[in-house]
Amino acid sequence: MPVSTFTGLQTSLRGLIAQQEALDTTAHNIANASTQGYSRQEVLLSASRALSIVTGSTEGGSQNAQLGTGVDVNGFARARDKFLDLQYRTQAMRLGGLATRVQGMETIEGALAEPSETGISQELQTYWSAWEGLANNPEDPASRQAVVEAGKALATSLGELNGQLTEAAEVAEAEFQSIAGEGGKVEAMAKEIALLNGSIRSATTSGSEPNDLLDRRDLLLDELSEMGQVSVTENADGTIEVGFGDAATPLVEGTEVNWPQEVVEPKGKLGALLELTRAGGTIESFRTELNAFAESLANSVNAIHTEAGGPAFFSFVAGEGAATLAVAVDAEEVQTAKDGSVGGNDIATAIGALRGGAADRAYASFVTRVGTEMVEAQNGETNAQALLNTVEERRESVSGVSLDEEMTNLTSFQRGYEASARAMSALDEALNVLINRTGRVGL
Amino acid sequence: MTMRVTQGMTSRSILQDLDNSRSRLATVQREISSTKRISKPSDDPFGTGRTLQLSGELEGFKQFKSNVDDGTGWVTATEASLSHITETLQRARELLIQGGNDSNGQVAREGIAAEIEALTEAVKQEANVTYDGRFIFAGTETETRPYELGAGDEYAGNEGSIKRVIGTGVELPINVNIKELLGEGNAAGDNKLLDVMRDIATDLRGGTEENAENLRGTDLSRLSDNLDELTRVRAVVGATTNRLTTAGTRIEQLEEASLQQLSQVRDTDMPQAIVEFSTQQTAYETALRSAAQIIQPSLMDFLS
Repeated sequence: MPVSTFTGLQTSLRGLIAQQEALDTTAHNIANASTQGYSRQEVLLSASRALSIVTGSTEGGSQNAQLGTGVDVNGFARARDKFLDLQYRTQAMRLGGLATRVQGMETIEGALAEPSETGISQELQTYWSAWEGLANNPEDPASRQAVVEAGKALATSLGELNGQLTEAAEVAEAEFQSIAGEGGKVEAMAKEIALLNGSIRSATTSGSEPNDLLDRRDLLLDELSEMGQVSVTENADGTIEVGFGDAATPLVEGTEVNWPQEVVEPKGKLGALLELTRAGGTIESFRTELNAFAESLANSVNAIHTEAGGPAFFSFVAGEGAATLAVAVDAEEVQTAKDGSVGGNDIATAIGALRGGAADRAYASFVTRVGTEMVEAQNGETNAQALLNTVEERRESVSGVSLDEEMTNLTSFQRGYEASARAMSALDEALNVLINRTGRVGL
Repeated sequence: MTMRVTQGMTSRSILQDLDNSRSRLATVQREISSTKRISKPSDDPFGTGRTLQLSGELEGFKQFKSNVDDGTGWVTATEASLSHITETLQRARELLIQGGNDSNGQVAREGIAAEIEALTEAVKQEANVTYDGRFIFAGTETETRPYELGAGDEYAGNEGSIKRVIGTGVELPINVNIKELLGEGNAAGDNKLLDVMRDIATDLRGGTEENAENLRGTDLSRLSDNLDELTRVRAVVGATTNRLTTAGTRIEQLEEASLQQLSQVRDTDMPQAIVEFSTQQTAYETALRSAAQIIQPSLMDFLS
């Protein structure tokens, strides 16, 4: 089969087009070098279908040869490793949870203000000292007043600490609602994923690869996995089904969003918030311990104070000791001696001797527990952050835009384009000779 | 295959390293400026628990010291008062011996009796002594005058014991039961000081042979017995003073030990922290310098 005179021009044209598209892709990569979630793209090139030509006759018959016709652009691929995405999301979920826990615990730890000259432990010591001071001066009305005032200061501080714990729980609850509630972050992200699902489906069915939409969807999934556990099922039409936490129905099915739903153990940030606020959760267990301390303090003081028929020193509502602790006596009613004598000090001495006892130890162990849980959360966070960084690094290594690489590509595609143009010029010149000069002998 | 390293990776890891370095620097800096190794429970949970415990102990020692000081004041006042009573009784004993002497006429004896009565009042006055506005010989009724001067010899206080805590679980009685010494006079007939003094005055005024016998015999021996008893009580008071002094010293030693422990648990080890600080500072500066050099160049700088 003879080859068309203009085949070479076509081949060069294909080369020009391919190099140009490669240049465009490089420009796209460079433009998005800092775009979050962007995966670098590559032009998929292959040699176009060759022409089969007869090279001449031999004794065995005619022979065919393949004449190359240039290059075809097959598509644009994004450099992405799905396995790394899965790893990333698992670590993002852990980090989201632990970072939120650290934040919540920081509030609680800050409220304790220990060790310091102003914390509850100091007020407790001041209270014991007031009793011992009274034991030295049982006749002195000022010493009695000092005991009452120290008791009130202690009760107020306990009430305040309890209030701050309650507030921390409320803040966490509000944050949970702002994320998981109606119109919250989760719903907004789910809606965008559903929209993207629609666009991706129409692109996929028309046979194209919507790389930038896929990047955007993957980024949303990354962000969603900080909030809770995300499981993704891919469908043939390019859409995905997204399961979230332990919600009964998938969060996103094609272009449908099913939210809000009830979650019990969503993990991630939401899981951590629930763990802080739920019944029997972190904050409640701290409050229970604080109540136990307040009540053991009140009971041990009252037991001695009422020994000779006097009134109870502290009043409180059982089960809400920290919030309701109050001094129930005025200065005149403060008991100092079992026999009621003005100079006796056995009651005051006995109460003063409670220093370093069960109440002090209960408070110290409460503070220690808050510290220990904080350290655990912090270590977990550091660890999750390190793992996330590793995965992120590997993912970036696969998908990230390297400017050096793009510059190299830019140069080589530019040269390729120039060379294709030169090839076209060469053919043009050859054809010029053929068309304009052939048959003009002797002119 | 070698790992691709992109500009994004480099800048992210530089940022992370700088952040870490800066946060380590801030931690050491805080430890140095606050001089405390522990500023919140999570810095060292168990150290925090120990800090609270030791601070409580220290507060307790401070209180024990003030208890000891107060007790010492009280006991010193007691000792002074008992010493005055002893002097008074010695004078009474001299007068008694003088009065028992046959050479003295009844007029002289009447004079001696008047002095004995004055001494009796002086003894009661001593028993009414106060420390810091409190009657120290009234048991726990510290606002009640123990004996009424110029009236009967009834004791108005009680026999309650006043104690000071001078160590964990260590209570020391600091008051003297004066009723055991002075008694309640003739009305009670208890052979205690006031009873004996009143009898002596009566015998001096009586003027009979029997009275004179009493003065030389039973009155003298009963007065001596009471003086012995007084000496014994003063020995007990002296021992109490010693115990208070010893306790004061011991509390200071314990306080010192607790302070040292607290400092070990809570305070920054300055030399170590300062070395750590300069190490971290060097690391931070090095990281900054290398970051400045790495971020700058790219292939673009070399392509024409």
